[in-house]
Amino acid sequence: MDYAIDVKEQETVVRLRGRLTFNDHAKLRALIREMLQNKAKRQVLDLSALEFVDSAGIGMLLIAREEMSNADKQLVLRAAAGQVKRVLTVAQLNKIVTIED
Amino acid sequence: MVPSRPHVAALHGLGVPAERLDRLSAAFRLPPWRPGAAPSGDGREDSVLVLVGSADAAEAPECWARPFAAWIETGGILSDADLANAVERSRRADLYAFVTTATANQLHLAGRILQAITARRTLAGAQRDDMELALHEAISNAVVHGNLQVEGMKGLSVAALERFSHDLAERMADPAYANRRVEVAVWLEADAVTVEVADEGSGFARPEHIDYGASGRGLDLIAAIAEEIQLLDGGRRIRMRFPL
Repeated sequence: MDYAIDVKEQETVVRLRGRLTFNDHAKLRALIREMLQNKAKRQVLDLSALEFVDSAGIGMLLIAREEMSNADKQLVLRAAAGQVKRVLTVAQLNKIVTIED
Repeated sequence: MVPSRPHVAALHGLGVPAERLDRLSAAFRLPPWRPGAAPSGDGREDSVLVLVGSADAAEAPECWARPFAAWIETGGILSDADLANAVERSRRADLYAFVTTATANQLHLAGRILQAITARRTLAGAQRDDMELALHEAISNAVVHGNLQVEGMKGLSVAALERFSHDLAERMADPAYANRRVEVAVWLEADAVTVEVADEGSGFARPEHIDYGASGRGLDLIAAIAEEIQLLDGGRRIRMRFPL
């Protein structure tokens, strides 16, 4: 998985690309650190270019949500498609995280 | 009655020394594979068993295309007797892989097996995505929790993620864990695909109450996708059935 961060005044948009699986633990740690460091309250993960996510990837997104919440920030998952959208649905993540089309 | 399986007709080596390949070819009575060779002509599909010397030797997608249908890694510490057992088991399945934990992870084995399945059965887009996820989750469980014996992420903190990260890297670098085997067997029926994934870990019992942290959703996802799942051999083997 790769990511690119676009920091704005009101929100930060992180565009994830590729596959998000248990092997991406180090990248997720780095990403969470960067999201905590910037000032924006809204931290948006743009998932439109993410091709595949597994259960550990879902778990790491939940860790990100929890860490943002502890820092008084909001995590938003945006524009999931295909397999990623389907897994978010099957795992019922909409009950826990803000999901936008 | 035993259903008719593809006929394993030849042996192919990827990164296996010629001398060992010749010896194994004679021992298993499988001639070396010749591209474009005439089929054996009894109406069954001829398939080819691949002996894989190392993960790097099997990176190319064509290593997982037809007529290849079984992949057994000879590297690591596999004895000739264990290899013979694996070859025997491969003859009872339509697709078969027996590789180290490190190789299963490096090659992204679930995707390779899915490629081999879709070369033989038509899957609709969503069905393909679902089956890839189920295979990936089953193989990840075999790799991470089974063979590497790394516990899942407990709780929802970066500390849990760091612990997982550290343990995973440490175990993957230890040959005593990383050389443990993952076995995948696939049976292709007219109306269903059955897949078994086995590891060499200490087993697993599905808890009655799952305390969800960042981990623990894999088996639930598999159960949501597959028509039927069974945990066998003390939890070291999972059997999944997918209707077509």
